[in-house]
Amino acid sequence: MATNIEKYLPLTESTAYTLLALVEPLHGYAIMQKVEALSQGTVKLGPGTLYGAFTTLEQEGLITKVAEVDRRKTYALTEKGRQVLKEHIRRVELMAKIGTFTRAW
Amino acid sequence: MTTMTQFRWFWAWDDEKEENWLREMSLKGWHFQSVSLPGFYRFEQGEPKDIVYRLDYLTNTKDKPDYLQLFLDVGWAYKGEMNGWQYFSKEAVDGEAPEIFSDPESKVKKYAYLMLRLGFFLPLYIVIASNPRPGYEFVSLIWTVLLFFFIYAQFRLLMRVKGLRRKL
Repeated sequence: MATNIEKYLPLTESTAYTLLALVEPLHGYAIMQKVEALSQGTVKLGPGTLYGAFTTLEQEGLITKVAEVDRRKTYALTEKGRQVLKEHIRRVELMAKIGTFTRAW
Repeated sequence: MTTMTQFRWFWAWDDEKEENWLREMSLKGWHFQSVSLPGFYRFEQGEPKDIVYRLDYLTNTKDKPDYLQLFLDVGWAYKGEMNGWQYFSKEAVDGEAPEIFSDPESKVKKYAYLMLRLGFFLPLYIVIASNPRPGYEFVSLIWTVLLFFFIYAQFRLLMRVKGLRRKL
């Protein structure tokens, strides 16, 4: 499983936040709002960026469409998407632990 | 409702120049309505406003309604399309120009996709240009010119990508 998901990492900031937001199934606009809130305003996904992320993540089999209402597709994480996100967080946590000394700077 | 049509030519790699020009027109009170024929821009006169225009390139029409809804949901107006180029507009707030791409990586993808589509035909042009029918060598010349143009276009798009990557 580990070698299979290697090729999807590292994630860009936009795709990482998109996957994080999709811990619950959401559609595009809701994802944009959630990511802005989660990142405390630092990451505001543009529609062009998000559409590109959807296309890539769906192609890679990390997300899948679960519903479509009023021209808004709702996406959810696939099992592979969960594994990729889990591994991404693990790596980020590791780096964060190593890098706590930078708080003193 | 006063309208006017103006002709201006922008190459694919100069889409940012096109965006800036449309914004300048809005600041003068001429608001972009549509472009039906390549190069022919229709404007409608109104109050001078700081309206920002952004271009995306999309040829997959299958998910178009969902694609557009993403933009509409965050306040972009759709001004139509021309040869795959999608035109969006949104008023600037406090002089800040809104973007449709929030990171340079996704901006790069737009040009990479363009290059892919352009490059798709390059081998065909090479084959046609190098196999002239007897007596029709001038046709081969035309294809050769086209071929060099497409190589030049790829080069310009690549420079655009490199320029954006430097900002990464």
